[in-house]
Amino acid sequence: MGDVFSNLGLGFGVVFQFVQWTPAFLGGASIPIPVNILLCLIGALVGTLVGVLPGIGTIATVAMLLPITFGLPPVGALIMLAGIYYGAQYGGSTTSILVNIPGEAGSVVTALDGFQMAKKGRAGPALAIAAIGSFFAGCVATVLIALLGAPLTKIALAFGPAEYFSLMVLGLIFAVVLAKGSVLKAIAMIVMGLLLSMVGSDIETGASRMAFNIPELADGLGFATLAMGLFGFAEIIRNLDAGGETDRKLVQEKVSGLMPTRQDLKETAPAILRGTGLGSILGILPGGGAVIASFAAYTLEKKVAKDPSKFGHGEIRGVAAPESANNAAAQTSFIPLLTLGIPPNAVMALMVGAMTIHGIVPGPQVMQKQPELVWGMIASMWVGNLMLLIINLPLVGIWVRLLRVPYRLMFPSIVVFCCIGIYSVNNAPTDVMIAGAFGLVGYWLIKHDFEPAPLLLGMVLGPLMEENLRRALLISRGDWSVFLTRPLSAVLMAIAAALLILAVLPSLRKKRDEVFVESEN
Amino acid sequence: MNATPGHAPVKSIIPKWVRNPQEFVGGIALMAIAVFALWASSDLQGMRGFSFGAGTAPRMFGFLLLGLGALITVVGVVTEGPHLAKYHWRGPFFVTVAILTFAFTIRPMGMIFAAMAAFLIAACGSPETRWTETLIVAVCLTAFCALLFPYALGLPLQLLPTFMIR
Amino acid sequence: MNWYGRSLASAGLAALAGLGFLSAQAQAQAYPTRSITMIVPFAAGGPTDVIARIVTGHMAQTLGQSIIIENVVGAGGTTATTRASKAANDGYTLITGHMGTHAASVPLYPKLAYHPEKDFEPVGLLAGTPILILARKDFPPKDLKEFITYVKANESKVNAAHAGVGSVSNVSCELLNSILGVKPIGVPFNGTGPAMNALVGGQVDYMCDQIVNAVPQINGGTIKAYAVATAERNPSLPNVPTTAEAGLPAFQAQAWNAIFAPKGTPADVVAKLNAAIVKALDDENVRKRLLELGSVIPAAADRTPAALGTLVKNEIAKWTPVLKAVN
Repeated sequence: MGDVFSNLGLGFGVVFQFVQWTPAFLGGASIPIPVNILLCLIGALVGTLVGVLPGIGTIATVAMLLPITFGLPPVGALIMLAGIYYGAQYGGSTTSILVNIPGEAGSVVTALDGFQMAKKGRAGPALAIAAIGSFFAGCVATVLIALLGAPLTKIALAFGPAEYFSLMVLGLIFAVVLAKGSVLKAIAMIVMGLLLSMVGSDIETGASRMAFNIPELADGLGFATLAMGLFGFAEIIRNLDAGGETDRKLVQEKVSGLMPTRQDLKETAPAILRGTGLGSILGILPGGGAVIASFAAYTLEKKVAKDPSKFGHGEIRGVAAPESANNAAAQTSFIPLLTLGIPPNAVMALMVGAMTIHGIVPGPQVMQKQPELVWGMIASMWVGNLMLLIINLPLVGIWVRLLRVPYRLMFPSIVVFCCIGIYSVNNAPTDVMIAGAFGLVGYWLIKHDFEPAPLLLGMVLGPLMEENLRRALLISRGDWSVFLTRPLSAVLMAIAAALLILAVLPSLRKKRDEVFVESEN
Repeated sequence: MNATPGHAPVKSIIPKWVRNPQEFVGGIALMAIAVFALWASSDLQGMRGFSFGAGTAPRMFGFLLLGLGALITVVGVVTEGPHLAKYHWRGPFFVTVAILTFAFTIRPMGMIFAAMAAFLIAACGSPETRWTETLIVAVCLTAFCALLFPYALGLPLQLLPTFMIR
Repeated sequence: MNWYGRSLASAGLAALAGLGFLSAQAQAQAYPTRSITMIVPFAAGGPTDVIARIVTGHMAQTLGQSIIIENVVGAGGTTATTRASKAANDGYTLITGHMGTHAASVPLYPKLAYHPEKDFEPVGLLAGTPILILARKDFPPKDLKEFITYVKANESKVNAAHAGVGSVSNVSCELLNSILGVKPIGVPFNGTGPAMNALVGGQVDYMCDQIVNAVPQINGGTIKAYAVATAERNPSLPNVPTTAEAGLPAFQAQAWNAIFAPKGTPADVVAKLNAAIVKALDDENVRKRLLELGSVIPAAADRTPAALGTLVKNEIAKWTPVLKAVN
């Protein structure tokens, strides 16, 4: 315990480092400048900006800013890049809530209830609770990393392909529970998402699957491309239908209160706690854990709630829980990087790139060899989260005012931002066209009452599930029993089975009720 | 979504015995997608001994979607439900044209042209567009994007048409 | 220009574009007059990207123009390479290719839309990254000799991890397996990070990978290295023997990175770029950074465009039989 305090002391010492700046015009007088705090602030600001802009990915931005960090000391460079990372994680929720465009998998869930809240004129509380939940989750996760980082690494290593497959199955069940309408249609949408995720090259043989020799499809459909199409463009097209404008006007007139009420806070406190717990644990698992954190949290809330029918129609807990989980997972996903030197996702891989450029090659010894780097980063996470709160709470007012812009001016702007965003992911015009096509698909789905969220989640989980299934079977030489004989995997499978039964039962009962009502008429 | 479940006689190509056209058509479309996916993955290798081939998973999910589509179609016949929702052409048409215009012009013409064109074409999608105000906003937005993306965020976007740079 | 030719909209603009070509004549002497785009066919932060950024950072100073890095990922780097092969051959679009995109891709992708020799002008070699034979830390064999006998005896039981079809780890492991005459089960991962995670976690038995990714893990004792597949030991791992020392001289592999320009790029432009590369490779700071990565900096004789052309030719000849046999 004492160790942790001295380590954290070291970390905060690094973060609050002052550099004496002696500009010539002051004639020898020097000003102390908290360089690392400033870098953290810049990172969080840029991250928020990038997160708010639809499509512009965190990866692209971190990559672009990599050369800028060449000139900085390594600790400062990493603090700034980490700031961009969690700033973007947070910023993405703003777009989800305001215009129903999730920038990444985690925000899909936030969009479900967040956008409904915005439609009811409660965008302010939704944004504020997202900021508060994220801040709380960030604080808890930072402490967790400091206290238990090293032992938690063992969980990450105990997860083999069989365990990941079972986790993904569980994830798909979450996606079913998430749906507000028919379970059957939700399952159909997940399967369609799984099919879409198969487009591209096969992981084992490299064979091109359903790509029709289009080079841009060779690596599959991008998440951002699909999300912009199914959510962003489809929403715009639908709003342009006759009657959409009056709908919008109503929204603008209804805007009430920027901050959550006392009642909101009371309701969301346990949701934030549960979300933080789930997110912290799932975030540790490299390669897919963090992805399912937010909708695991949402599913839990929906199952725990007394009146689950409110979810999907603007329930504040449906924003608070996934946002907390998302941010907690974003923080704890640093654990494998800090303790093993293995990057768990693409952004972390970039951070490793940044470290190697600075001559630090992260590995299992990084904690012993570079304590000021590791603990400086951990301390900076807490500072960064505080800054995000300070930056974002005042911004809530501005964002809500943005909703008052007439829709006739708003929607062409969203189209342009989405186009630039999608294009910038791969610099590929084809991606923009694909997103356009999925906009029309999304419009059709809305007309037939199919929900796009399960489709997107199927699309995200599909490759992880297929790849890990195949890896597990390769290693077990075709023995399917591994999923039940490996204890961790068996536990996950059991939870999945129980959840599925819970999800299907009420809908069967409802069907019966409907038939009953029908016959009464 | 907003259509009310009613029994009003609406002219439609859907036969009378279909009581829930929305589900019925949705289910058939899903089946069509499934058949298409099965056809598209028919050239892929199946199981290779104990290990999956490239085509195993797509086929598995293709058949699953086919089954689910059939089930939804059946539900569409046996349950009561809303009529097909009305489609509008204006919004989808102009937004799609705007997106395509952006995609085709971003490389040869640069971002300033592409963003401006996409904005103006998309604006045609709403009958409420007022042109003076739209033009002013289009110019401001394009200028904002031209500063934000390449300069503030450092993205490698070309601003001007290719022929003006060469 | 082909790329632009494909888009419909540009057809109508051809007349306008004619105006711009007037200045094209004067361009060669003054090259470069505007910023250069460097396509990197892999994700930012990966070994190729880091090497490209280090070297182009210095080249930009020499050339007096900025070099913008554009990461285009996909299909083992062939998506980006296809795009580069069709770019204007004016020296303003270049690509950092490597062993995979400009050699192993030929046998791996039968429908490849470009040919490394026919569609590119070699500009200059940047750096090589040695390849190591690695195993999980509790894998029974203690050295390379034992490893060879063990893998041959337990061919049906061992698992070899790799970072995806066409990746350096995949291709080099196939070479090793073909030399040993074994066909173990290959377990594919999505990139080096996940593959390394599985090796550290003991989910798989062995793999081949570039030195950059492996050094910290070896030093940390989470995995072990049997040999480095180069002629000389690497300064960052002085205790790891070469394959020749450890008894497998036939296994020689190095992931090389080099700059290419689209075919038909003027010779004086290529010469200018090559001079900038050579100058960068002689710079103290650039050398230091590359060596920290475990890279091997090419000797003076290997830095010319012609030497790179020969290297590409030899590498295609080397990988084709190995990878054809696998597929």
